Amino acid sequence: MMDSPPPTLGMPREEFLAQVRRSLGRPGPAAPEKPYHRLTESLVDLENQAAEREEQLRQEQPALLEQFAATAQLRGWQLGRAADPEEAIGYITALAAARDVTQVARSAEEVFDLLPLYAALENQGITTAAIAWDETKSRADLREQIIQSGMGLTGADYAVAETGSVVIIPRRGLSRLVSLVPPIHIALVRPPDLVATLDDVFLFRRLEYYRSGGAPDRYLNFITGPSRTADIEQRLVVGVHGPKEVHLILLGGPA
Amino acid sequence: MAEVKTRDFVAAAGAAMENPALRRALRQVGSGFNGARLEAIDEVSPQAWEQWRAEARRIKAHTLDHLDYYLELLADKVAGNGGYVHFARDAAQANAIVAEIAGSRQVKLATKSKSMVSEELDLNLALEAIGVEVFETDLGEYIIQLAEETPSHLVAPALHKTKEQVSELFHRKLGVPLTDDIEEMARVARETLRQKFLQADLGISGANFLVAETGTLVIITNEGNGRLCTSAPRIHIGITGMEKVIPSVADLAVFLRLLPRAATGQRLTSYVSMVSGPRQSDDEDGPEEFHLVVVDNGRSRLLADPDLREALYCIRCGACLNICPVYQKIGGHAYGWVYPGPIGAIVSPTLVGLKQAKDLPQASSLCGACREACPVQINIPRMLLHLRHKLAESPDAAEKSVSPAAKLAANGYAWLMQHPAARAAAGKVGQAAQLPLTRQGRIAKLPLPWVSRWSDARDLPPLPKQTFREIWKKELQGESAADSDPAAGDTQSWNRAD
Repeated sequence: MMDSPPPTLGMPREEFLAQVRRSLGRPGPAAPEKPYHRLTESLVDLENQAAEREEQLRQEQPALLEQFAATAQLRGWQLGRAADPEEAIGYITALAAARDVTQVARSAEEVFDLLPLYAALENQGITTAAIAWDETKSRADLREQIIQSGMGLTGADYAVAETGSVVIIPRRGLSRLVSLVPPIHIALVRPPDLVATLDDVFLFRRLEYYRSGGAPDRYLNFITGPSRTADIEQRLVVGVHGPKEVHLILLGGPA
Repeated sequence: MAEVKTRDFVAAAGAAMENPALRRALRQVGSGFNGARLEAIDEVSPQAWEQWRAEARRIKAHTLDHLDYYLELLADKVAGNGGYVHFARDAAQANAIVAEIAGSRQVKLATKSKSMVSEELDLNLALEAIGVEVFETDLGEYIIQLAEETPSHLVAPALHKTKEQVSELFHRKLGVPLTDDIEEMARVARETLRQKFLQADLGISGANFLVAETGTLVIITNEGNGRLCTSAPRIHIGITGMEKVIPSVADLAVFLRLLPRAATGQRLTSYVSMVSGPRQSDDEDGPEEFHLVVVDNGRSRLLADPDLREALYCIRCGACLNICPVYQKIGGHAYGWVYPGPIGAIVSPTLVGLKQAKDLPQASSLCGACREACPVQINIPRMLLHLRHKLAESPDAAEKSVSPAAKLAANGYAWLMQHPAARAAAGKVGQAAQLPLTRQGRIAKLPLPWVSRWSDARDLPPLPKQTFREIWKKELQGESAADSDPAAGDTQSWNRAD
């Protein structure tokens, strides 16, 4: 096993902070005279704000869905709509066939409980790898399965109308790499996932943070269209290290 | 620390302007990113944009004024999340920390996503010295790593290269055929680096923001390399300047609106990734260890000077570079250190030492475009003037940038401007004296040794036969007072530290 390093290297924290204080002309540790407004919000404040926003979002849902669809397309998502699980499966199998994909990796999120994907893809000779770790599996094998997949399927924790983003919060059952390593990513979005703005996402995640007693999401990703670069002559190229092709399937939305 | 070549600014700027490939590469600086920025602002409405700028500035001002408090909160939270926090006084210490982590964990291969701070530290060199192979994975950074160069722009490090040069470089270093297809070049980088991502033991990233409330590191990227660096290797080290902290997750929204629009005109980058500690034991993937290295390396000098503190508000979008008439002509390398352009002309002299970089604060026409473009309203021209003043008044001979002759000339000019009769007489003398110097209606060179360097680069119009004051007296006085613009005097306020 690896050697355990000292917990902190470099300059002792107190010394570093003392230097910062000297630069600020402050004699000793002090909180801001007037506490920062956002950091004084209590769990109850956040719960009230979130409840109010949830209600507004429920009412705005049809309009938000259309705004999200329009913005997401501008950001490079290809859009599919599925009134029922069969249509969603149809979209996925058709795309897999069109792109000659022989293996699909998917997360183990509950959205897939509704979709009997495995049989539908199997019928076309396409393997489905459900990426879910437990003590009987090796992480290296799971990674290899993702690498071998031509397509990665995930749900969405939020869909942000303002930016056309899908938010993914990796955790048990939701690998970081399924939406990143295969050249095609498909995200399934359900109407309750919709929020209006970035502020909504941060409000709801802060609420969870304080509810859990201070356990943050160890990783969170906003995904807004395909991987891209403009590093050579400021010219846009789509598809560098992440997926070149990204699809959204809006579940249960109006056709 | 990265090699400091700021002393060579004048020669390097001259050489840059005579480099045809560089001129070609720089042609689009003013139109490309900058044009996209203006479009993105129009889309959200200039009023909304101004509100965002003001809000972002308030957040930065508050955080920097209480930086000790927020750094402590951040460090507690990162530790509470199961991460390690390390503080580094300077580049040597920061590099030693990363090397110690890498060495004690038998790291052989590291992949890096773009980090200007790591460029500042010359971190790759420190890792290579202990036998770690380091791969830059941002396409622009990968290009300059292969070319053994340094970044020339804050967001597009290889901006100084034409596609022909990149193709030639890939051909020479990677053995791939020449091409003029940029997509093919991106594909080559993807193929080459994919294996490295999957083999790497260590992923290194910078940070665009650090959230004190939750102990979160935020990176804003487009290519996906940042996500791979923070997902695939078993160790993740985030390394960044101490000024990147903001108080709350809720503060992030306004910065996510500002930064991509100001940088490339994007409404949001393809990816925004937020890291709060290592993966948990039952996660499918993600690093087992998370380290955050917080670097000072001269930033406390900016913090300590109330006239320069706002330079630390910078979110490294590059908007001030793209709009700057000087940067557009000379590119980034001439500035001689990691941070180029208008903001670099403030940050670099303070971080490397003012006497090493005396020319940088002079490399500006003070036109104010940078201040207007800045998404956090940093008053760059005011700080450039402040640095010029420091240089002019410095008791340290090595720092003093103004020659006695230039000082004499400036004082003479000031005296002349205060004495109308003498000024009128000098004008008459000038009109006579300039006759032998004037060629085709221009004065190409002044024959005085201490201004000839200045006049070599400029053609001056000769003094006119009739001065403005004479025209004013004879023809205009009395008639234009009524339609003068009352706001005209209010357009610049560089001297106010607002």
